[in-house]
Amino acid sequence: MKRYDLIIVGAGPSGLSAGIEAAKRGLKVAIFDENEKPGGQLFKQIHKFFGSKEHRAKVRGFVIGQQLLDEADEAGVEVVLNATVIGLYQDKEVVVKRGNEIEHFKGNAIVIATGAAENMVTFPGWTLPGVIGAGAAQTMMNLHGVLPGKKVLMLGSGNVGLVVSFQLEQCGCEVVALVDAAPRVGGYGVHAAKVARTGVPFYLSHTIVKAEGEECVTGVTIAEVDSKFQFIPGTEKHFDVDTICLAVGLSPMSQLLKMAGCKMEDNPKRGGQVPICDEYGRTSLPGVFVAGDVSGIEEASSAMIEGRMAGIAAAEYLGYIEKKDLDTELAALDLALDGLRQGMFAPKNRGKAIEQTEEGIAISQNLLLHGYVADEEIDRFPGVTHRSGVHPVIECTQNIPCNPCQDACKKGCISIGANITSLPIAVEGADCINCGMCVASCSGQAIFLVDEDCGDGTATVTLPYEFLPLPEEGTKGKGLGRDGKVICDAEVVSVKSLKAFDKTSLLTMRVPKEYATKARFFKAV
Amino acid sequence: MNSVNDRSRDIGPFVPGPDDDMLICRCEEITKGEIRMAVHDGMWTLTEIRRYLRTGMGLCQGQTCSRLVKGIVARELGISPAELEPATSRVPMRPIEMKIFANEAPDEREDG
Amino acid sequence: MSERIKEHPILGVQEKGELVKFTFDGKEIEGYEGEPIAAALKAAGVMVHRYTQKEHKPRGIFCAIGRCTDCVMVVNGEPNVRTCITPLAAGMDVRTQYGVSDQPFDEQ
Repeated sequence: MKRYDLIIVGAGPSGLSAGIEAAKRGLKVAIFDENEKPGGQLFKQIHKFFGSKEHRAKVRGFVIGQQLLDEADEAGVEVVLNATVIGLYQDKEVVVKRGNEIEHFKGNAIVIATGAAENMVTFPGWTLPGVIGAGAAQTMMNLHGVLPGKKVLMLGSGNVGLVVSFQLEQCGCEVVALVDAAPRVGGYGVHAAKVARTGVPFYLSHTIVKAEGEECVTGVTIAEVDSKFQFIPGTEKHFDVDTICLAVGLSPMSQLLKMAGCKMEDNPKRGGQVPICDEYGRTSLPGVFVAGDVSGIEEASSAMIEGRMAGIAAAEYLGYIEKKDLDTELAALDLALDGLRQGMFAPKNRGKAIEQTEEGIAISQNLLLHGYVADEEIDRFPGVTHRSGVHPVIECTQNIPCNPCQDACKKGCISIGANITSLPIAVEGADCINCGMCVASCSGQAIFLVDEDCGDGTATVTLPYEFLPLPEEGTKGKGLGRDGKVICDAEVVSVKSLKAFDKTSLLTMRVPKEYATKARFFKAV
Repeated sequence: MNSVNDRSRDIGPFVPGPDDDMLICRCEEITKGEIRMAVHDGMWTLTEIRRYLRTGMGLCQGQTCSRLVKGIVARELGISPAELEPATSRVPMRPIEMKIFANEAPDEREDG
Repeated sequence: MSERIKEHPILGVQEKGELVKFTFDGKEIEGYEGEPIAAALKAAGVMVHRYTQKEHKPRGIFCAIGRCTDCVMVVNGEPNVRTCITPLAAGMDVRTQYGVSDQPFDEQ
C-alpha cells in the first residue's frame, strides 16, 4: 500500500492550496479528485473575483485555477484525477476507485476538501429534461461550450443565481426572469445590478408553481408567496422557457468525514452537516483536517485561505515545522481570512436585515427588491458625484471587502482606505484622465466614466461591456436605465478592448445629457 | 436523549396533502406521500426510511434526495431537520460496480 | 434546438478534439472526440436521455457532473453510463435507456 505524508481529497481551491503549502514544507502530498479536470468550481467561474490583491482580486476564477495548478505542479504535489475516494477509515487509510480498480493508500495526515453539492427544490415538473442545476448550466457553457438552452428562468438570487444568470447572457441565452421566494436579493448588489441593467426582471417573494411540458420543459408558471411562503391566488405569471435553472443553495459533502468517525454537527449557518473543527481545520480525529466549503459554505477566496491553513497545520502535526512557526503563519492567514469575513455579507451577518451601510447611509431597498438602485437613491452614495468633464461614477452601494478600484486609478480619483469594506469615494478635485482602468478593474462592473455635459446637449457614458458581438463605432441603439428599460437613444462613440482590461471592453455611448445620470447599458437595434 | 427516540409520542394521523404525488427520490421514483406515510407506518429514522422505501438506494445513492427526505420526515415528526440523525454513511461513497469493488490493484511497490 | 457557443466573450474559442461521427438511437450525428457524450447530444438538440423504470417518465441532464445519474444511457450495449462525464469516441453507439434496457417498454 502506497504511503503519503498527506493525502488530500478534492483538488478544488482549498485542496490545491493545502497541497501547495504542505509540499513547500517538505511533505510528500497526493491529491485525489473524482473529476477529469482539477480546480473544483474555479474553472467554471469566468468573472473577476473580489477582495484585495492578496486575495487575488480582479483575477478571473479560471485564471486563479490555472495559477493554483501551476503552483501545485512546481511544489511537486501529485494530483491524481479520475480517482474517486470511496472510503476513509479511522486509521487514515483511503480507498480509491481508479478506472476498473480499487487501490488503498495510507496517509499520515488527511485533508478533506470535498466541497459542496447543490440543494434541490421540488415543484411539479422538476424532473423534466430542461430543469437543471445552476452548476450544470456553468459546466455546459464554460467547460463544454454548449448552450444550456435558449430561454431560461433562474430560481435563486444568491451569488450563484446572479452570477450564472449573467454568464447565461454572456453566451447568448435569454434570461426571462430571476425568481426568489425570499423577500430580498440574497447576493451582492453589484452582481444583481449588472444583470438587471441588461433587462432581466427580478421577481422576489415569488417561486415556481409548476414546470410545463411533456417530454421536456416548454414553459413555467410562477406566483407570489406570502410571509409563510404560501402562494397568493391571482398572482400567477407564465413564461415560455426551455430551461429552468435551480440555484437554491449548497450543502457540504461531508459524508466521508462522518464515515471516518468525525464528530459532526448540523449547523444551518454553515449549510448543514459539517464536521466540528477549530478555526484551522482540525477535526475531532487527530491528523484529519478540513478546508473549504465542506466545513462551511463560503466562497473560493476563503476556501483558499482555509486550505493553506490546513496544509500548514498538517505540516506541524507531522513535525515538519515547529509550533511557533505554525502560530506565526496561522496568525497571518487568520488576518487575511478575517478581512474577507467582514461587511454586509459576512457569515456573522447572515440572515440579518441590514438597513444601513457602515457609513450610516441607507441601503438601497430597491436594489434588494428589484436588483437595481433607483434613480432617486443613487446620489446617496459617496462614489456618485457630479462635476464637469469626464469623471468616475462608482455605483458601489454595499459594504463588501473589495478594493481593486482604489489601486486601479493612478490619479487618486478613487479612495477606499485601509478598511477594504468601506464604500469607495469619488475624490473631489482629483484629475481624471479617462484611462478607463477603474471601469475595467471593478469586479462588480459598477464603475462608469461619465461626462455629464459635452456642451452640445449630449453626455457620454463609458460602461464595462463583456458581450459579443462588440458593437462598432457609430452604431445607433438605445440607452437602458439601471432597471434595464429603454430610456433614450444612444450612439456608440468608441469600444476599447485593451489587454490591461482583461477581456472587459469599454463601450462609450453618447446620450442626451438629461440621461447622463441614468443611462447605464447599451443595446443595439 | 432526543424526542425522536420516544416512539410513544403521538404525531397524529396521516393527513393527505396536496403535493403528496411530488417525486422526491428521482432514482427510485418515490413520492412525498409515500415518505410521509412511511413515518406513520413507524419509520422514524432516516436509516429506516431508506431501508423501507429505498429512498437513497438508487443509482445516485441519495446524493440528490437526502436533504429533501430529511426535511419531509422531520416535518412529519414535528421536529427540526437538525434533530434528525442522517442516514448511516457507509463505503462506497459513490456508486460502484461489484466487479470493480472486488478488483484490488496489485501492490506494485511496498510503502517507503 | 441547442447550439454550440462559437466564440465566448471571455473564454474565446473553445479548443475541441476531432469532429467524429457516432450514432444516437441508430441515427448518425457528429460530436467532438473527448467531449462528454451529453454535450454532443445537447448540441444536436437531444433533451431526453432515458425513461424511468416505474413511471416511464422522461429524464435528461440535471447536474451535469456525474452525480445525479439522470443522464444515463445505454452506450455500446452497456446501460447506466453517465453521459455527462463519459468522453465521446468515434463510432459510439448511444441509445435511449428505458428502465435499464435499450428496448422500449412495450417490447421488454
